[in-house]
Amino acid sequence: MTRPFLGFGLGLRTDHYQYIEDHRPDIDWFEILSENYMVPGGKPLAHLERIRADYPVVMHGVSLSIGSTDPLDEDYLASLKTLAERAQPEWLSDHLCWTQVDHTNSHDLLPLPYNEPTIEHIAGRIRQVQDYLGRQILIENLSSYVTYRASEMSEWEFLDEIARRADCLILLDINNIFVSAHNHHFDPMDYLLGVSPERVMQFHLAGHSHSGPMLIDTHDHPVCDPVWTLYEAALKHFGPVSTMIERDDDIPEFPALRAELAIAEDIAGRTLAAECLPPRLAQGAA
Amino acid sequence: MEQLRAMQQAFMGHLLGRPSDIAAAIQSTPEADAPTRLGIYASGYRLRLKEALETDYPQLHAYLGDMLFDQLMDAYIDRYPSHVFSLRDYGRHMPELLDGLDDFPALPMVRELERIERAFNHSFDAADSAPPDPAMLSQLPPEAWPGMQLRLHASVVVLHNRWNSFPVWRALSRGETPPEPVEDTAPWLIWRKALVSRYRALEAPEAAALHTALNGGDFSALCEALLAFHPADEVPREAVSLLQTWITEEMLADIVTDR
Ligand SMILES: [Fe+2]
Repeated sequence: MTRPFLGFGLGLRTDHYQYIEDHRPDIDWFEILSENYMVPGGKPLAHLERIRADYPVVMHGVSLSIGSTDPLDEDYLASLKTLAERAQPEWLSDHLCWTQVDHTNSHDLLPLPYNEPTIEHIAGRIRQVQDYLGRQILIENLSSYVTYRASEMSEWEFLDEIARRADCLILLDINNIFVSAHNHHFDPMDYLLGVSPERVMQFHLAGHSHSGPMLIDTHDHPVCDPVWTLYEAALKHFGPVSTMIERDDDIPEFPALRAELAIAEDIAGRTLAAECLPPRLAQGAA
Repeated sequence: MEQLRAMQQAFMGHLLGRPSDIAAAIQSTPEADAPTRLGIYASGYRLRLKEALETDYPQLHAYLGDMLFDQLMDAYIDRYPSHVFSLRDYGRHMPELLDGLDDFPALPMVRELERIERAFNHSFDAADSAPPDPAMLSQLPPEAWPGMQLRLHASVVVLHNRWNSFPVWRALSRGETPPEPVEDTAPWLIWRKALVSRYRALEAPEAAALHTALNGGDFSALCEALLAFHPADEVPREAVSLLQTWITEEMLADIVTDR
């Protein structure tokens, strides 16, 4: 399989700009939140330019609203394309969700009913987006808290079938699989085994929190042990997949996040063949 | 797609706090029924919009205190569902909301603090432009000066307040107790230099000159504005001195001449 493997990265956060520019930490890549850089000028774009000069980046958006029944937002797509020309990302991703209807934006990643008409609708829209951007995109699985009565299949069947019909790639969020498995009572291994390996291009890792009987995808905690275990199973199943940690709240100092990423590197070190690892890790292991 | 559309409209209605039959479309489980599960989304919706407003208006928040600012946010969220893709733009109707209020505490100060923070937010990521080279001024032939156009940097905002809202804002931003409200009409400048938003009080002549430039007046119009403050023979020197300050302070985006 010739899937590109970027190694181990982190989400780029404004709190860490200065540290990264001063210390050039030894990580392989950064994921940027596209919307934060869709601005006319100033600090965000200046820091992006400096950091991009030293690291590969991927773009991760939250506003595509690919599952909406509103028309695709042309202004948003144009900004996305402009930013991609500027940032030259390895790839772009967004979520398998809807965020707005009747031009009213929930600013949330809302779940969809898993059925044939929805698959057909979304696959067509992903193809439109890919045609416009001139490249394949990645779509990511959500954490969700509701199941629609109109759903007729599992989430992984839904995700995989859309990816197949749209000919797009997949960003698997390991924490989201864990959270949704808990909230909707499925086996997370079924999810991993139900997704076409050749389409999985990136993993997300993140922390979550508890709210009564439900798990909530808050990105305000370190990655928990069961999610690390699931990550290990995912690496065993999929082989090397570019991995990063998302942290959006209670953001610690950069070195603490770097140390957390080392856990992922350790797991990969004992799960993957040495020749699959980035050179800086393969040498350390030898 | 009509079914999906109707479902999305009902879901959005639920988030907006309107009557909605979305719960009928959601499965209940023994540990969490449909309304409980939907409630996670409804409370998340409000929290996220509040976070956006708190990010936009930290000193207005400090001035009003948690309870009053929360009331203001609730009023905003009820009145303005989001029609923008980025939360950065969500608070853009705040002046409109405040203009429409008539029985909210300390409204004159609140309105001015809102303008100050909006100007800072604007200056933070306004469009970039390289400052013009000061050497170009010395190479400019005398006949090119009067028609010269000064384009100010996109981050530049001049604020005319009626109250001492700037000293109040400054005290709040330093975590100090703000001064009592008094009338104070000194103009203030907000702009960005070396990627950092800055502010300073303006003397009347500089404020007048900036207004001329902001309104598209050329260098001769700027000199004319300065005649109100300086004797005619000192005006050219004062004007050039302002121009040099604006260049070194990165307040200018461009100097346009016919040649
Ligand atoms: Fe994620």
